[in-house]
Amino acid sequence: MSESTLTEAPGAHPSGVGRPAPAGRRRSWLRPLLLVLGLVVMLALPLYVEEFWLRTGFAAAGAIVGAIGLNLLVGTSGQLSLAHAFFLAVGAVSYVYVSGEPGGLGVAELGGLGLPPIIGMIVGVLLAGLAGLLFSPLAARLRGIYLGVASLALVFIGVHVLNSWTEVTGGFNGRSAPEFSLFGFTFGNRDPELYVLEVPFREAERLWYLGLVLALAAYLFARNILRSRPGRALQTLRDSEVAASVMGVNVQGYKARIFLVSSMYAGLAGVMYALSIGSIAPESFGLELSILYLAMIVLGGLGSVNGAVLGAIFVSALPLVFQRYADLIPFVGGGGLAAGEAARFLFGAAIVLVILFEPAGLAGIANRIAGRFRRPGGRVTEHPPDTPTRTSEPSPSDPPAQGSTT
Amino acid sequence: MSAPGAAIDVRSDVPPVQVEDVTVRFGAITALSGVSFTVEPGTIHAIIGPNGAGKSTMFNVLSGVYKAAEGQVRFGEHRLDRMRPYKIAGIGVARAFQNIALSAGQSVAENLMLGRHHLTKAGFIAAGLRLPLATREGKLHGARVAEIADFLELGEKLHTPVGVLSYGDQKRVEVARALCTEPRLLLLDEPVAGMNAEETHRMAEAILEIRAGLGISVILVEHDMGMVMSLADRVTVLDFGRRIADGTPAEVQRDPEVIRAYLGSGDEIDPSEAAEAAAAGASSSETPGMPS
Repeated sequence: MSESTLTEAPGAHPSGVGRPAPAGRRRSWLRPLLLVLGLVVMLALPLYVEEFWLRTGFAAAGAIVGAIGLNLLVGTSGQLSLAHAFFLAVGAVSYVYVSGEPGGLGVAELGGLGLPPIIGMIVGVLLAGLAGLLFSPLAARLRGIYLGVASLALVFIGVHVLNSWTEVTGGFNGRSAPEFSLFGFTFGNRDPELYVLEVPFREAERLWYLGLVLALAAYLFARNILRSRPGRALQTLRDSEVAASVMGVNVQGYKARIFLVSSMYAGLAGVMYALSIGSIAPESFGLELSILYLAMIVLGGLGSVNGAVLGAIFVSALPLVFQRYADLIPFVGGGGLAAGEAARFLFGAAIVLVILFEPAGLAGIANRIAGRFRRPGGRVTEHPPDTPTRTSEPSPSDPPAQGSTT
Repeated sequence: MSAPGAAIDVRSDVPPVQVEDVTVRFGAITALSGVSFTVEPGTIHAIIGPNGAGKSTMFNVLSGVYKAAEGQVRFGEHRLDRMRPYKIAGIGVARAFQNIALSAGQSVAENLMLGRHHLTKAGFIAAGLRLPLATREGKLHGARVAEIADFLELGEKLHTPVGVLSYGDQKRVEVARALCTEPRLLLLDEPVAGMNAEETHRMAEAILEIRAGLGISVILVEHDMGMVMSLADRVTVLDFGRRIADGTPAEVQRDPEVIRAYLGSGDEIDPSEAAEAAAAGASSSETPGMPS
């Protein structure tokens, strides 16, 4: 049939190594250029933009981390979880307790270990991961909406603990989050005082960079996973558990591991949330937060890391923007809707629109726009249907096309 | 029961498959009752039978998806009936599904790379941080995947999402993915169902070539009688979950039980099936030639 015959050797065969992807690689310089440009803009932003946008940016960065984590679980692996708020809470509380100073606040006597914030952050991520791992045996046995309902229980347990374990969580009133610092450099207003090009770099500016680094790391890690062995295993078990297991994927094991990874992402997002608000309180980690995270990944596009980023920015920034520009937007502020409520109405409408018209979410829309730019002279994916393969486009080091030899 | 035409180099590490008295029940329904057969190393063994005979159930037992209520399945020193599916894949048993079970959104290459899962090691940390282990592994196995794709005429489509491929191409991706696990035993569940004559012919050639080139055993469930009779070294016939015949294609075709199962008894003969059964003998003459 084909020119190549199949032989036993499973080792490396040089024949296939250098094979170029058919077309599409020609304009490969454009992507890195855009990426570098985007990064430079991001880095320079604190020099030009006021504090509100930087704070919003850090909040969005935290949401991005959390949304990427949830999307790995729900979008990529097909495990519905409503427990994301719980894992965020574990991360946030661990950070506040481990790095916070013990002391009294009003009636409450607060505990705290007073360790460096970076330790608090790491412990927060690890404990959230541990919580996810402990929950994962349940997750491996339940599917779809049943898993969603089971995970819901965690949220209510979490809120109850937050309300009642006053020594650690600050109880009903919550407690403040310690400033982040790294090797003596504080992500606060002073200590040291810092000026870049005569622009004062205070808490908002410093946190902006922290958010940028953490979100970028979370993004790259998730992208790499999805493009390699574990990502393929996860996507296949979402599409068909039987097929995945027959192809050699330990389905239970992978379900547990992705729960671990996802809740670690949530833990980091929780720490960033605490830093962004400057305090934690029980009502921040209720069911509504879980739903908002689901809204992010549905709006952004299930299973897409880019989608999680876009969805997280949209959902986390919109209420803040509404709040700030309440007097400019009709029906919001004053006698109209509260900013948060208006944003929620908009999410609802946006989700309905996305499900009706673009199930791939914001990522799908972005792809379409990018595709429009690429079309002229760009990537060609369709071959004319009836043309034999041997006359397909000549690319430099392509092996001879395979026609039938028999 | 030597292979038709050619002497085959059987891989030395391919053990026989021994199915002994396997019974599978779903509640009150007995899907398989006391089925036994043996697949000799390096042979193509067909399992045939009317709809609902238990062929797919047998495949699910062989790949560990269903557990047998009684009986055992041996593959060398391994007891397949006691192993979980992913462990079975790990000892070199691969399966191509009848209803295509590929990830439609992923490219052909990515689907095939899944076949390399048990041969590779990169976990979340190595993959997420792009450690050298993960990148090296990806390159090495990508090369073999490209080779197998070429073999099944999918080389041009490596980077195309599976969802946009034609049905015949998707069936070939199924087979290629199973091959990518470097199996010692290949389970093919109706590999040519729904294919046209030309595609069927090429798939038959590919199966012969797989057996010849790799020296592995192949178990085939198939409705296309012409293909079964021309390819198989041995045929097991199931009907209502029981084994009603087992032998070479020629023996099986003469078996009165088999004729009764396929043609029905008395006067309820379905003319199209009768023609098919009659054609089965004739079509073995058009055995696809072995490529040089």
